[in-house]
Amino acid sequence: MRGKDVTLERVSITYPNGFTAVQPTDLQIGAGEFFSILGPSGCGKTTILRAVSGFVSPSTGRILIGGEDQAGRAPNARPTALIFQNLALFPLMSVRDNVAFGLEARGMGKRERHGRAEELLALVALQDQADKTPPELSGGQRQRVAIARALAVEPAVLLLDEPLSALDLKLRSHMRAELRAIQKKTGVTFIYITHDQGEALTMSDRIAVMNAGRVEQVGTADEVYSTPATAFAASFVGESNILKGRIAQLQESEAQIQTALGTFRARNPQRLAEGAAAYLFVRPEAMRLGGPGNTISGQLVRRDLEGPFVNLFFAAAGHELVVHQTNTGPLPSQPGEAAVLGFAPADALILPEGPLAATGQELAAE
Amino acid sequence: MTSQRLLNLYTAAFLLFMFTPLVLMIVSSFNNISPPSVSEWRGLTGKWYAFFWMDQEALRADPVLRALDRDRFVGCFGNSLKVAAAVVPLALAMGLAGAVFLTRWRSRANGILWWVLLSPMLAPGIVLGLSALVFWGRLGVNAGLFTIVMAQTTFIAGYPMLILMARLQRQPVELEEAALDLGASPFRVFRRITLPFLAPALASAAVIAFLASMENYNTTMFAKGGACTFATEIGAMARNPNGHPPVINAVGTVIIVLTVLATVLHTLLQHREGRAGKTRPAPK
Repeated sequence: MRGKDVTLERVSITYPNGFTAVQPTDLQIGAGEFFSILGPSGCGKTTILRAVSGFVSPSTGRILIGGEDQAGRAPNARPTALIFQNLALFPLMSVRDNVAFGLEARGMGKRERHGRAEELLALVALQDQADKTPPELSGGQRQRVAIARALAVEPAVLLLDEPLSALDLKLRSHMRAELRAIQKKTGVTFIYITHDQGEALTMSDRIAVMNAGRVEQVGTADEVYSTPATAFAASFVGESNILKGRIAQLQESEAQIQTALGTFRARNPQRLAEGAAAYLFVRPEAMRLGGPGNTISGQLVRRDLEGPFVNLFFAAAGHELVVHQTNTGPLPSQPGEAAVLGFAPADALILPEGPLAATGQELAAE
Repeated sequence: MTSQRLLNLYTAAFLLFMFTPLVLMIVSSFNNISPPSVSEWRGLTGKWYAFFWMDQEALRADPVLRALDRDRFVGCFGNSLKVAAAVVPLALAMGLAGAVFLTRWRSRANGILWWVLLSPMLAPGIVLGLSALVFWGRLGVNAGLFTIVMAQTTFIAGYPMLILMARLQRQPVELEEAALDLGASPFRVFRRITLPFLAPALASAAVIAFLASMENYNTTMFAKGGACTFATEIGAMARNPNGHPPVINAVGTVIIVLTVLATVLHTLLQHREGRAGKTRPAPK
């Protein structure tokens, strides 16, 4: 098996009812890459997947797989395989026949395709379940059958539509590792759709963050997490303390931002000009108790113990701030206890004002 | 009087009106008197049933039974089977096509199509029978078993369509999409995915189409020409001015017994299937 590259050139998708699910989008996905599209539900990520697999035609632009334009090609003529969110295993067929289905459709003889199905079931460690039907399997096993079935047709591109969303937490993290291993072993290009940032961050070579039909940022997990390009990306991926403000003074790659809680120094990668409306983002794990650097005084409101970590919630002039601390040393524990919170300018990020993710804590108020 | 007692009373009256005629019919099918009666008991007899298999001498010896034409009756019953043998596959094929079209083809015309396909079920049977008679007559086809088949199929096809639509709506579209995505042609998707899923519904649709064809009277009456079917022959016998022979009661009783048996069997099978579904081996 060998992966192929996928290119979207100015692809936009408008449904017959007039709703534009995908705004003109360019994406280059390399051969053999594990590429995730991360975004909230309704952001258009599934529509892109369905366009690549051929169930939806782009309204404008074109989709190339391995350099070949896919326009006019039906789903059954494309070098892609799609793993559906509900897996869509054939309930009346044995696991073996499920996996062999794509080969049967290609006219492969029974003995040969069953042999191939056994190999793939061995790849996902299900060789002893071949005679069962999908309803007799557990959630994780069904998941692996779906992967084996998709890999059986030796796709150049495997498309995965939130395939882990139905699994429980423990199984999900196990399947993440397994998916990553299978991708490495087979070299197939994976395009992985998810709204779960944890999945995207742990598995992907690169991530595209999508919102409202637009790709907001494409980058590695580190880039997306530590240098988000937009307010949406910063608030959707990971948690942040967010303060609304105005650029007060420029200092090379950094700037002073004036907020309701004071004026702070922070990175200004997009070189926003003085007076520009902006957001300040500080990750909870970048917040410390005490100085030096930027400081805010606040009172403890609540303390959530997670075992090795503690989330401390502070109130500062009507704003809630979260500090993520390792559970070592003396930490404030009584509500009302006063503390000084600090963060280094290098750990704080200034981004232009823009829509925030609905899940982000909008603390800002001017 | 509480509403609960009113409801009980209503239920009792409902059951009484529904079942009394059936009970009377069954009782009179064992009474040695013609025309059938329950008020006058002339002794237990099985001869109204035995009519169908007793030998010729015995038949001729009986004052009531010898007036009946057993061969004609059996022939008409055979006609009904022949008609049903044609109507069932035709209705299934047409109903299947309509159901697939209406559930899988998203089109503006679906609403209109739905009414066009189902209107024969709502139209009076007389109209269907007459129009089949007139239409095929113009084409030079004489009324007979063929016109019966055509007339019955027009409305019986609606039953399989409704049953199959209900089933198709329960099948996730993703199953068919997945098969297509794995490289299967649309025909293979239909044969390997859609059709096996529909199998139980096809079986029930076949049974219902068969029963609808066997028992149809009014449409058949107009389309039959000189031919006869089970239902029209029973109808003819029942219209005897001197009262109908109790043989009809015997036939009715047999039909009731068969219906009850089939229902019980169906319920048992369903029960077992439901239990089999629940006792899945525990996932490891």
